[in-house]
Amino acid sequence: MKFAHLADVHLGFQKQEPLQEMERRIFEGVVDRCIAEGVDFVLVCGDLFHVNIPDMRVQKIAMKKFRDMHDAGIPVYAVYGSHDFSPTSSSAIDLLEAAGYLNKVTVPSDDGDLIRLNYVQDKNTGARLAGFSGLKAGRDVEYYERLDREYLESADGFRIFLFHGAVGEMLQDEISGESLPLSYMPRGLDYYAGGHLHTFRNRSFSGYENVVYPGTLFAGQTADMEENARGRGRGFVMVDFGDRVERVRFVEAPGCRYEMVDVDADGLASEEAAARIRSMVDSIDPTGKVVILKAYGELGSGRTADIDFSAIRKGLLQGGAYHVMIHRRGLTSKEYKTRGESTGTREEIERRTFQDSIANVRIKRADLTGHRGVDLSTKLLATLRHPRPDNEKKADYERRVTADATSKMGLE
Amino acid sequence: MSVAGQVVGGGIGDILVRQQSGSRLEVGDLLVSEEENSILILEVFGLQYGSQIDGRVQEMMSGVILEEGPPDAEFYEPNFVNYVMARVKALARVNRDLSVNLPKSLPAFFGKLRIISSEDLKFLQGGGRDRIFIGYIRSGSKVIRDAKVWLDARDIFTHHLLIPATTGRGKSNLVKCILYHLLDSSGVGALVLDAHNEYYGLNGEVGLSSHPDARNSLVYYTPTDPPPGSRHLTISLDTIRPDHFEGIVEFSDAQVRTMRKYYSDYRGEWISQIMLTDLSMLGEAESRRDAETRSITMAVLQQKIRQALDLEVDREQNVVVSRHNVFDSVRGGRTADEVVRNIEEGRVVVLDTSKLNDQAELVVGSIIATRILDHYREAKTRGVLRDKPVATIVIEEAPRVIGEEVLQSRTNNIYSTIAREGRKFKVGLTAVTQLSSVIPKAILANMNTKIILGNEMKMERMALIESASQDLSEDDRTIASLDRGEAIITSIFVPFALPIQIPHFEEMAQQRPPPASGTTRVKVF
Ligand SMILES: Nc1ncnc2c1ncn2[C@@H]1O[C@H](COP(=O)(O)OP(=O)(O)OP(=O)(O)O)[C@@H](O)[C@H]1O
Ligand SMILES: [Mg+2]
Ligand SMILES: [Mn+2]
Repeated sequence: MKFAHLADVHLGFQKQEPLQEMERRIFEGVVDRCIAEGVDFVLVCGDLFHVNIPDMRVQKIAMKKFRDMHDAGIPVYAVYGSHDFSPTSSSAIDLLEAAGYLNKVTVPSDDGDLIRLNYVQDKNTGARLAGFSGLKAGRDVEYYERLDREYLESADGFRIFLFHGAVGEMLQDEISGESLPLSYMPRGLDYYAGGHLHTFRNRSFSGYENVVYPGTLFAGQTADMEENARGRGRGFVMVDFGDRVERVRFVEAPGCRYEMVDVDADGLASEEAAARIRSMVDSIDPTGKVVILKAYGELGSGRTADIDFSAIRKGLLQGGAYHVMIHRRGLTSKEYKTRGESTGTREEIERRTFQDSIANVRIKRADLTGHRGVDLSTKLLATLRHPRPDNEKKADYERRVTADATSKMGLE
Repeated sequence: MSVAGQVVGGGIGDILVRQQSGSRLEVGDLLVSEEENSILILEVFGLQYGSQIDGRVQEMMSGVILEEGPPDAEFYEPNFVNYVMARVKALARVNRDLSVNLPKSLPAFFGKLRIISSEDLKFLQGGGRDRIFIGYIRSGSKVIRDAKVWLDARDIFTHHLLIPATTGRGKSNLVKCILYHLLDSSGVGALVLDAHNEYYGLNGEVGLSSHPDARNSLVYYTPTDPPPGSRHLTISLDTIRPDHFEGIVEFSDAQVRTMRKYYSDYRGEWISQIMLTDLSMLGEAESRRDAETRSITMAVLQQKIRQALDLEVDREQNVVVSRHNVFDSVRGGRTADEVVRNIEEGRVVVLDTSKLNDQAELVVGSIIATRILDHYREAKTRGVLRDKPVATIVIEEAPRVIGEEVLQSRTNNIYSTIAREGRKFKVGLTAVTQLSSVIPKAILANMNTKIILGNEMKMERMALIESASQDLSEDDRTIASLDRGEAIITSIFVPFALPIQIPHFEEMAQQRPPPASGTTRVKVF
């Protein structure tokens, strides 16, 4: 017998069309593969969707593939993740459940102080499943605090616990933040199916064998794409089992091909930086690839706006790139920061700061740039710099300041 | 006012008081002299007999009474003729506005003294947010329940805390009480190396985990089978750097060079690489002698690291494993980070190091303490040290790291560095010890708060008295006779050396309501 374990699919994460297309293809490919391999059931451990109610396009994709699994007689068991759950509104997961394509495994029965989770039993294999969804900001700790562990530990058969959250013992490269200790989970179960950490990992501890995160299928946050480009394999987990777990294997899902262009422009003049980027970009073959251009560092002179990123993007796409992502937030210029010494009156310093900043803004509107932009900014600042006087109501203050500002911008 | 005695002579630091008959003064009793705008608090440090009758006559009379006398023979006005003289010293003058000065004058001659009451100690009261309760004021063996001593946790932990006592006098109980109160404060984070695994409270025992806010403010790590909510104490080998052994394990220069070389070649893998090195493969293409020296160095190094960290080499799998589960070549990569983060967020982190040998325990502490000190140093450079809670490292048998002998024979270790300069960075030591005399004077004097429990060893008492923040030169006997849980606080943060009774932890913890549970329903999705 075998089951597939997926998590953090983050359907709907991608905002650009080519990547949305890729996101769809990867997800569909994985579902097809599960069907083709004849898995007995599929686990989805949270963050199937990037938001609780994604747009119709995304919902349709999900509906279709979950129906495929349903038609193939493959039950799906799921918990919510931190992204696709909302305590106040519904979730696209509920839709899949209502359609009968998916079973939520969190079946609590109220037992006073303790939370008792009842196992859901898979009809074909007899496997028992229970689990908790992931809540934002570590709020799920409260669940675990009250979990009736003994009850889950006392059942027999092949038992799986599904969860969505960072287990402290499973962290490796992440920056340490709130995490859940493994000891909160019931001991001695056969498989701990996790979601939330975006890279595959599989470890065992005394009392907790097979604690597994499959990681994301493609990407659920910007950093995931960069990691993909650096060669990280993505996919899901396939588990063979009988009375116990027999084998856990990571199944890589074919994704895009990538090209990473990493430019350290620290100390370079803006023209030099632009030249370096161009030469690095010229040295790659972008055909059919997702190109991630990452520029960072503080320019020695010149402005970041001197580097024409849109032309670079255009060039790459013309060269056949599948998609181009440009990360330039780490790129700063000295001149932008301020002109150094803070000499002069406050007004002079403010004007100078506006001049420097506006010089970095790439918009073609004379009324917002150049000296007119500086004038407008100075006027706006004059309105906005005063905090609310004690004798004025908050609402009145807001109204007055807004009116004042809009009139100065000539927007009334 | 019930009079306890009357001033009849002496001078500064040694005032003679005649005891009122019927008031049974004890050594350590606190007395009060009421003066115009202030009260003077005095302490009894000696008791002796006084008599109106000349010594030889006394002896003769005693002979008469014992040998010849009728059974009911009595002195005429016995209380008048024979009495007890107390030697007292002034501790502090408390003014109307509750400000406290060191007393520079004597109480009025013939002035009457009374036993202290909680009213007189009002200046001690008040538990603010970051204040912790240490104990009750004690007058001799009488505990004044209303007079509670609260100290500013940030102050005392920044400036190092020493808890000295011989075995069984209540060090662990005191540490537990202090940590318990720290759980209420976010102003101090603590790393507790719990060598006896006695603080958390396992199997239904009362312990720190009984604190109502334990879930938020206490983090417990133990190598195996952590109770629900606590964590596996597993530290990845790649968190360890060669300098974490500094001053803890002795290495020769050649060994240190080898360690550094491996560290720079293999980074996080350096320990595994050393442990897995096959000695016979060393030094091909070198002269035989060089190869021999290298392989000897390596063999000794392997053995030292193996012993220090309790490692074993699994030759079949070609991996390094640890006997107690604490060090691991794969798992536990974030443990040290997590511990540090929790401390920097003002929590108390207890590490159950009971399964570790001495060196391994100190290395674990060293990994974490080094990081904390680094972070705090950096925070200071960036000007954001103010935002951080004070961090303290609680360590038993402190002479292992700050003892004279270790400090002389080895390089500095992180604990001694903290003892010397941690204060500048808000990082302090809480050192528990049976032996204070082996800690260098400079360090001892830098530990600005000492909670001295009973100690029958003269040499230990002398070391403490010499390094105390108050003049304890007359308190030698008092310290010798402190019972379990009785203590004297000497500190730059208290106006005079405070005699206290430390509460019994179990009783204290049981007085607080247990962790709230089940009062609010949670909706489970
Ligand atoms: N303040 C107190 N009131 C009542 N009992 C106490 C007090 N302090 C300690 N005890 C009791 O005295 C015994 C020894 O205390 P504790 O373990 O704290 O001593 P210790 O100094 O840490 O000893 P060791 O050197 O063996 O570690 C324990 O049974 C403890 O409960
Ligand atoms: Mg002890
Ligand atoms: Mn996710």
